[in-house]
Amino acid sequence: MSEPLLALRGIRKRFGTVQALDGVDLDLNAGEIHALVGENGAGKSTLAAIAFGAEIPDEGRLETKAVVGLVHQHFQLVDRLNVWENVLLGREPKRGWRIDRVAARERVRALATGHGLDVDPDAIVETLPIGVQQRVELLRELERAPGVLLLDEPTAALAPTEIASFFRTITALARSGTAVLIVTHKLQEVIDYSTRVTVMRSGRVVARYVTTATSTGEIARAMVGGELPPLAERAPTTPATRLRARNLSAGSSGGLVDGTFEVRAGEIVGVAGVEGNGQSALADALAGVISYTGTIELDGVPLTAAVTPAARLASGVRVIPQDRRTEALVLGWSIAENVALGRHQTAPIRRGSILDRAAVLAAAKDVIERFGVRPSDPQTAVAALSGGNQQKIVVGRALGAQPKLLVAYQPTRGIDVGAAALVRSRLIEARNAGVAVLLISFELDEIFALADRVLVMSGGRFVGTFDRATVDRGRVGALMAGGR
Amino acid sequence: MATFFRLRIVRDLGIALIVVFGAGSIAMLLAHVSPVDGFYALFDGAFGTTSEFAETLVSATALLFPALGVALAFRAGLFNIGAEGQLVLGGLAAGVTGVLLPGPPVVSIVATLLAGALAGGLWGGIAGFLKSRFGANEVIATLMLNVIAGLLATYAVDGPLHFASANEGETPLLAKTAWLPAIVPDTRLTISIVIALLLALVLWFAFNRTVFGFELRAAGGAPEAARRAGVDLRRIALQAMTYSGAIAGLGGATLVTGVLHRFNTGLSPGYGFVAIAVALVGNLEPVWIAVAAFAFGILQNGALSMQAEASVPRDVVNVIEGLVIIALAGRRYIAAQRTT
Repeated sequence: MSEPLLALRGIRKRFGTVQALDGVDLDLNAGEIHALVGENGAGKSTLAAIAFGAEIPDEGRLETKAVVGLVHQHFQLVDRLNVWENVLLGREPKRGWRIDRVAARERVRALATGHGLDVDPDAIVETLPIGVQQRVELLRELERAPGVLLLDEPTAALAPTEIASFFRTITALARSGTAVLIVTHKLQEVIDYSTRVTVMRSGRVVARYVTTATSTGEIARAMVGGELPPLAERAPTTPATRLRARNLSAGSSGGLVDGTFEVRAGEIVGVAGVEGNGQSALADALAGVISYTGTIELDGVPLTAAVTPAARLASGVRVIPQDRRTEALVLGWSIAENVALGRHQTAPIRRGSILDRAAVLAAAKDVIERFGVRPSDPQTAVAALSGGNQQKIVVGRALGAQPKLLVAYQPTRGIDVGAAALVRSRLIEARNAGVAVLLISFELDEIFALADRVLVMSGGRFVGTFDRATVDRGRVGALMAGGR
Repeated sequence: MATFFRLRIVRDLGIALIVVFGAGSIAMLLAHVSPVDGFYALFDGAFGTTSEFAETLVSATALLFPALGVALAFRAGLFNIGAEGQLVLGGLAAGVTGVLLPGPPVVSIVATLLAGALAGGLWGGIAGFLKSRFGANEVIATLMLNVIAGLLATYAVDGPLHFASANEGETPLLAKTAWLPAIVPDTRLTISIVIALLLALVLWFAFNRTVFGFELRAAGGAPEAARRAGVDLRRIALQAMTYSGAIAGLGGATLVTGVLHRFNTGLSPGYGFVAIAVALVGNLEPVWIAVAAFAFGILQNGALSMQAEASVPRDVVNVIEGLVIIALAGRRYIAAQRTT
């Protein structure tokens, strides 16, 4: 085999007291799609950052002559600029001292077409759906014609159809000689699209596979260092109607249209659908942060659009929002303060006008223990935690509030298999204990694993209802795609 | 952990001091002044005699009130740059109240201070109301309210609130019963410094121990997360701006009752603006703001004597003041870089 395009040798990196990387070797060869997997905090993103040159290792060498591109998990785009301005930022074609807008637009259009990425060069980035923003992010890196392309959880926010087309682009790139590294949690994608797999745990490489000679099960065992714990048992419950929505409409384009459904205490209702088909509006309407028409009743008590989020929280409605970084957490705060957020208006955390620090600490310790949050010091700043541990805090704080209704929007988005299994088990336990759970997910496997009933959304409407016993995967997929 | 943090602060402050003294010395050498003489004059002017030290504390107090007010709004994510106007109107209200309501000492003092806080709170509250009701940008609102406050005060003391016994641009001298008692005889240092320090402690407690402070910081730290967690962002905006203005207004009132003993339109040489720097240098932490206000107080008084005693040109003094801000703000910047 020819020389690797990029080689990492004996990389060590320490952040404070945490040894993030402990002697890692990695080769990236021309033409391969190399999957890098591991639990949250295993060191994958740090390794990618070192390969890109954004972090300097404490020890070890980085050898590469190629241009290295990195697509971040959290997009690094200027929201107010349009697509071509973002793609060419810092490299704009000039005519004299002015930007040659015509040439710029054409260059981006040609680049997009050449890679089979459908993007309007003049669209303002903040108006684009997440899947399209991803393409812009990818285009910006491709514009530099990288020999090595690093992708940090590129499909975490994408819908299934977008994922397929994303991998068509990536596969074509690899075929043309680019070395691709994909950091991901989605093991099925690893099996479907990668050529080699490197598994990391606690800052070390613990396994390397050729993809054709391994399985998701084997990879998962290597990641967690043993068998995954089975999902919690489903206990028999006696469901009674808790949430009833009639003719609920909310949001403008891409919103929810005329939704009528109910969620009963002691059941998980899964909402299946491709992202952008009204799920955000559904969750936001229930959270009381957007206005809506139609009626919502909780245990027979109407919740009009005028009922504030605070009143909803007090009556037992908890929503795990879409974006944990802006909608759920105060990143600069400690774990303890974040656990208190949203539970600070009621006892035991609120005591008159005082915030009971002992109660805050107790609540935080409870979440840390029940969800295995690492690091386990409640004073740790949430910004320093991995995405999976942040998500555990968001889910844990919602469940710790003893909700009547839990709306979970993609509760396992972007977190590793171990953490996801834990979150799923906790949702089942909440259901067993009589919580009404509305699970909005874009991963059908998750819905089929958890839901007692499945509602299918398409174009903002509920287009099908299935019971757990009789659910037909093919029918659900067809309805999601807008079929009949 | 706590020890570690303190050590880092100590070390960073040490670096900041080296930067200030090093670059300040270079600036003085370029102006053909001996740095030794210059810095000696700075500290001599700030600490040389009891009365000079008292004046340093008077300046620090004058900055501490509006800086605490600014910090309260900043913590809620609101850029209140209207402390100057709130302070001036607080001073006006105190000056007028003190003349119109002479009474027994305690009553008179409390009434004038309350009037100042009320006026400042009202002025800040206008910006808060515009923000919460119409989403009006508080920077623009407070900036314009500053201008209105200045002109309003000038108009008031020369127009409807003009007293025959007063000069132009002033209210009459307050009765002695309305003066804040001095804590060092024959100086202008009054119990206002105690009030300011107590206020810093109250704010520390409010930020860190109360539900209100928690919601305020949530609104400032991540408004969307706060809203979804049941924080009423509109109420917080109104309250934060009102309290912020009230604290600045109280500061204006203490200048009237403690320092000038009358309202004068030239009451503040820009305390409300310097206060923004003080609040930021103090990391928006009340206790550190008190430290920062003291440092700025040293600079304000020492700078005068640098000019007078060591013939350091005013421009070089400005350079040194700027260096202090950069060095202290740089510490914040470096700290931010470390955590992200």
